[in-house]
Amino acid sequence: MELLIKNAAVYDPVNGIKGDRTDVSIKDGKIVDKVSSGCTGIDAGGRLVMAGGVDAHSHIAGSKVNVGRLMRPEDSRAGIKPRTKTTRPCTGYTVPNVYAMGYRYANMGYTTVFEAAQAIMKARHTHEELEEIPIIDKGALTLFGSNWPTMDFVRENDMDKLAAYVSWGLLASRGFGIKVVNPGGGEMWGFGKNVTGLDDVVPEFEVTPSQIITSLMKVNEMLGLPHSVHLHCNNLGKPGNYTTTLESMKLAKQVKAGKDRQVMHVTHLTFNAWGGTNWGDFESRADEIAKYLNNNDNVTTDMGQLIFGNATTMTADGPVQYANAKLLHAKWGNGDVELEDSSGVVPITYVKQISIHAIMWAIGLELALLTDDPYKVLLTTDHPNGGPFVNYPEVIALLMSNRKRQEEIATLHKAVHSQTKIPGIDRELDFNDIAIMTRAGTSKVLGLLEHGKGHLGIGADADISIYDIKPDEIDPSAEHSKIKSAFSSAAYTIKGGEIVARDGEITATPAGRTFWVDAKVPQSHTDEMMKDIRAKFKNYYSINLANYMVQDAYVTHQNVIKAGVGTAASEVD
Amino acid sequence: MQEVLLKPGMEIRISVEAENISPDKFSNKTAEEIKSIGIRMGNHKTTVGELFSVKVNGSGTPEDTKIVMEGDFSRIKRIGEGMTAGTILIKGNVDMHVGARMVGGRITVTGNADSWAGREMKGGELVIEGNAGYYLGAGYRGEACGMRGGKITVMGNALDFVGEHMCGGEIIIKGNAGILPGISNNGGKIVIGGNTARPGSEMTKGTIIVNGSVDEMMPVFKPEGAEDVDGVSYMKYTGDVILNGKGVLYVRE
Repeated sequence: MELLIKNAAVYDPVNGIKGDRTDVSIKDGKIVDKVSSGCTGIDAGGRLVMAGGVDAHSHIAGSKVNVGRLMRPEDSRAGIKPRTKTTRPCTGYTVPNVYAMGYRYANMGYTTVFEAAQAIMKARHTHEELEEIPIIDKGALTLFGSNWPTMDFVRENDMDKLAAYVSWGLLASRGFGIKVVNPGGGEMWGFGKNVTGLDDVVPEFEVTPSQIITSLMKVNEMLGLPHSVHLHCNNLGKPGNYTTTLESMKLAKQVKAGKDRQVMHVTHLTFNAWGGTNWGDFESRADEIAKYLNNNDNVTTDMGQLIFGNATTMTADGPVQYANAKLLHAKWGNGDVELEDSSGVVPITYVKQISIHAIMWAIGLELALLTDDPYKVLLTTDHPNGGPFVNYPEVIALLMSNRKRQEEIATLHKAVHSQTKIPGIDRELDFNDIAIMTRAGTSKVLGLLEHGKGHLGIGADADISIYDIKPDEIDPSAEHSKIKSAFSSAAYTIKGGEIVARDGEITATPAGRTFWVDAKVPQSHTDEMMKDIRAKFKNYYSINLANYMVQDAYVTHQNVIKAGVGTAASEVD
Repeated sequence: MQEVLLKPGMEIRISVEAENISPDKFSNKTAEEIKSIGIRMGNHKTTVGELFSVKVNGSGTPEDTKIVMEGDFSRIKRIGEGMTAGTILIKGNVDMHVGARMVGGRITVTGNADSWAGREMKGGELVIEGNAGYYLGAGYRGEACGMRGGKITVMGNALDFVGEHMCGGEIIIKGNAGILPGISNNGGKIVIGGNTARPGSEMTKGTIIVNGSVDEMMPVFKPEGAEDVDGVSYMKYTGDVILNGKGVLYVRE
């Protein structure tokens, strides 16, 4: 099966291509050097061509997404679209059904999306949903930051056991990497407690969040995992939390990367670059975070951009959601995952004339515009926490057009002038920057460049989006509404060499693959670690160890990436 | 001025989703055009013409369109959903969701209306000359805001949960109302001519007036003494105190 895209204005930052007019050849699902003459062709006619979008942080599957659906029948009614000959029925806006997840991402030109948090115990549910999300490739990050075994092994300072636990946990959950959410605090919520800083001692476990983060970073590099530790900081959702975020970022200095990427990814900064001491003097300190990023190379972030209108906040950070539900008088979903974590789900509506929401809107944009290197700030909305992912085109337009930002600022609460720096920032990103924030950068941060994602080099996956924009003719600053509409419905989305969407209509629905990491450790380490795990199951878990692991039957389209101790030339301090 | 007359062409036992029966959809259309409008019956698609006989006199904008429906419509749901103008006169009973999300115009039902009549209504007027079912003027499952504007009048009785999650507008019930009228009320006004039970729990704003007797008072209201409303003396209560609510409940002394 061959396909040739002619006259493409290609933006491929990894291979240094910035809008050059060229052809892209595809054979058997991969990018190739050339194809036979006379094969099927698409004339891009000078339109914008990029690799398929890669999303490094989105909540698309699993138990808390489903709690959101159950709690919000009114949301399901918002996006109803009947089935067609090609597609199944769609529902929902902030918490769409599985089909809508795949179709809507594909229509935007996205072909790879990573679920940002699954508890090991709930991983089966995550994979059941991932299997049903059509078209896109997927993966899920596994929560390790509050698990009892993690905290035990950190307290004992036994990195071999911790590495063996992470390796086993990734297998048990078919997970892709290490997610850490409010380390220590998430599990303490099960006891009605929380932690308030990096050096707080977690009650009962005698470890600190900073020890948990540092140990997991070391183990991450020992195992040579493709992705780094992916951190949701302590104190999220509290004014003044930017200091905790900066202190967390500094921990990254203690560990050297075993691969060409960061050692820590700090996620959704819209919720943790907050200054002030209370809601009265609340302000953006995204500038401080950006300053740190500009002077340090081992940390990356994503925006978690706020979108005005309906959102559903959902996180493994149980205590912050209790605070949110009380503050907003909103519906509150609360969950406890035995020895692993907690979770919370709370609907919210972001309003332009509410000062806090206007300031939060500015934070994500400030971060992206004040950080020099777009590889360090990925484009996300922390779907559906900041807003649904279907709004990425809105974010792209805001980043590319100061005029659009100023138009928007004119409609916001006046606090956006006094409490943020956004009105005075006139930087406008270009297509190359956007390609980094949505493709090259996200793929690099996830460690997927070498696995064929986020670029169009020879051998890469033939995941390609063509947008109805001629980069040499358009002025994105003035024509921002064209930018938004073009990125909303790709002229073509090609997944694995197959045309899956055309001008906003889904044309084919192949099944996507699920990436997970099989990280090997010496068998003796696993044997030693399993003694502790068996004791935990015997004494505390409500289910049997034999019923805990996600079996192959749950991951029928798997793409296994091998890693493990000794597979990377890693150095650990 | 356009007048459209609809009569059931057969006995309809399977429920019909009739959101397309509204002046907005019928205005400036001939009988043939109206007959071809799609409508869902059970699990299959059909047309207005398959189910009803259609007569049209004249032609006009939605404001100038009057739909008269004669017969039994007790399996026809969502009549006048989202309508913005014009009038619908239903001579008979209707199924659920009549006038749901309507924005303007007027619907009159001479018989009874089933549950969810006037759900999430924003404007216009709905008159039910018989009885209303459950959740009159309420918000559908999960919705934070029920009726937001307009007026609903019920000449007979209404069942439970009148105006649940109501945020604005006015509901007048001449007869009795079931339990928990105005539950989670967040604005608007409910006037009950007859009796009811447990009005106004979780109320944060809005007004409820009960002219008959209240069977059980929720223990979440603060008595504020007697007060006259339009020359009638009531006991005034405010609440729900648990939510620090500013809702007002008047009960006839």
